[in-house]
Amino acid sequence: MADRGADDGVDFTDLLPPDLQRQAEVVAEFNSVTTSRTWYHYLLIVASLVFAAVSVGFVGTILWNSLPEWAHHSRTLLGGRGWQAPIGPFGGLAMIVGTLETSLIALALAVVIGIGTSISIVFLIPRRFRNIVATLVELLAAVPSIVYGLWGFLVLAPWMLTTVNPWLNSWPFAKAIFGNPGQEFGTSLLLASIVLAVMILPTFVAISREVIAVVPQDLIEASLSLGATRWQVIREVVLPTARVGLFGATFLALARATGETVAVALVAGGVANVQFHLLYPGTSIAAWIATQFGESSSTEISALMALGVILMIINFGLSLISRGLVNRQRKILAVV
Amino acid sequence: MSDLVDLQSPHEIGHEMRDEIRRISDHLRRRRQVRSTIMVALCGVALAVTAVPLLLLLFELFHRGLPVVLHTGFYTQLPQTPSLVAPNVTGGVSNAIIGSIVLSAYAAVMAIPVGVLAGVYLAESDSKLATMLRIIAQTMAGAPSILMGLFAFSFVVRALHIGFSAIAGSFALAVLMLPVIVISSEIAVRGVPNTLREAGLALGAKPHKVSMRIVLPAAVTGIVTGIILAVSRAIGETAPVLLVIGGGYINSWKPLNPVSALPLSIYENAKSQWPSLRTQVWGIALVLVVFVFILSLSARIWASRKQRAR
Repeated sequence: MADRGADDGVDFTDLLPPDLQRQAEVVAEFNSVTTSRTWYHYLLIVASLVFAAVSVGFVGTILWNSLPEWAHHSRTLLGGRGWQAPIGPFGGLAMIVGTLETSLIALALAVVIGIGTSISIVFLIPRRFRNIVATLVELLAAVPSIVYGLWGFLVLAPWMLTTVNPWLNSWPFAKAIFGNPGQEFGTSLLLASIVLAVMILPTFVAISREVIAVVPQDLIEASLSLGATRWQVIREVVLPTARVGLFGATFLALARATGETVAVALVAGGVANVQFHLLYPGTSIAAWIATQFGESSSTEISALMALGVILMIINFGLSLISRGLVNRQRKILAVV
Repeated sequence: MSDLVDLQSPHEIGHEMRDEIRRISDHLRRRRQVRSTIMVALCGVALAVTAVPLLLLLFELFHRGLPVVLHTGFYTQLPQTPSLVAPNVTGGVSNAIIGSIVLSAYAAVMAIPVGVLAGVYLAESDSKLATMLRIIAQTMAGAPSILMGLFAFSFVVRALHIGFSAIAGSFALAVLMLPVIVISSEIAVRGVPNTLREAGLALGAKPHKVSMRIVLPAAVTGIVTGIILAVSRAIGETAPVLLVIGGGYINSWKPLNPVSALPLSIYENAKSQWPSLRTQVWGIALVLVVFVFILSLSARIWASRKQRAR
């Protein structure tokens, strides 16, 4: 206990006589880097303010540049179909729908497979290989997204065209879900979802593996000693304990999927249609900004900035939710 | 005697019930175990489903990339557009390699001082500003990278009238790196035991001396690891630089010139009509991935060594 500092919340200065209290306050202020008036203290504050200014500038600049578009065409941006470059109207519905479609399908694939993978890494793989696999997963999470896009574009898209599309179309009812593009498109919303799923899997597994690995061993041993089978332990003890953290990881993966740009730009096909047949090409907000930006007029740039604002709102909302959930998980485990 | 037999019968009923219960529980246990085996096996299948595409990706990358990166011209020559006369002449990617180094170097110079100092402030302070900054940093760390490109475009390219240039790209990457460096520096500084600080203060050192001479050296491993990871993330980003660096086709180290970058040339070559460029693109991807792997592996190994040494 002796090595605890003043930051554990216990403040003994209240017990001192008043004149000594003032003295203690002065000493505490003197001993704290952030309140002592030295050049170092000012340097820290300035750096923090620069960081704050950059962040505020980041949001503010994009908002400011999108204002003309929001002021006149906010309804078109949120609900309009069709993107008439260079003078408009610029409808954002296709991109918003495309973003939601691709990232939600990718998320569904990645979460189911990812939780299974994390469970196998923590409970099935021999202890010796566990660290190696964990390192490998984290390395794969560091692979730049353009490489996933390249692989999807040059390897998966031709394969989709020759093998997967005909196979899917041989199913009954498949045309109603996927559409029937024939030999025309290799790039599609479905391919974009698959590439996104492969891309966010390492990120998701890296987090969910940690969340699952820190479930207290006591809980697991207690339920094993009551005669529970391995799966019962996982389902009744491990997953409920890790639940909130897993939700956090899910939202983080979703945030990454919605913000992904170049991989989607390569494999989604880049067509601004509201498209629910998954084998047809589509696009997403981020991919549309990347592909349209090069040749755009200033009105179109302002419309693209407005799309950026929509993306920002989606993304920031998701990260705030995931942050809250991960913090809650931390508190739950602290209680256990 | 018959009384005795009668007396024994409850006992025998008990036997029967016990057998019955045992049979049912055996049955249930078997069912539970079968179910457990199936579900655990499904988890194993999930592991395989995860591993196969990722391993295929790595295989394709090395299989198609290695023949390309073995030519020295790939690193030293400028890119050339193939023509009908010479469809296989692709040149090299020296401009993109230099561009990537230039971009991340300038970005690091911009982001590291601000990021580390802000991280130290967050670790040492619990003021309202610090709490707010912490939320901002965690939100910014997950922001879509294309938005950094939009920011750099409106601010550096347009408002400051600098135009498409390396410095605009570095600015976008610096904005991308900043929150990562802030968060990792804060964690590293917080990890320094309080006893070290108190020992310094007890010896009469001034607080800023303690922070600079004791806390920062103790936290330097974590800080540097965070910086390396931030750089390795920034060097692979395409979207922010795509909008602002202008895609220069010459070797240039100057901040105001347009430059190219490895991820950008991957993006452009992948969409090219020329099969030779689509072959070369795997080499560029391999170089980029190897670069990122070396950075993040070295950060990881160094961090774990230092931890063990402590």
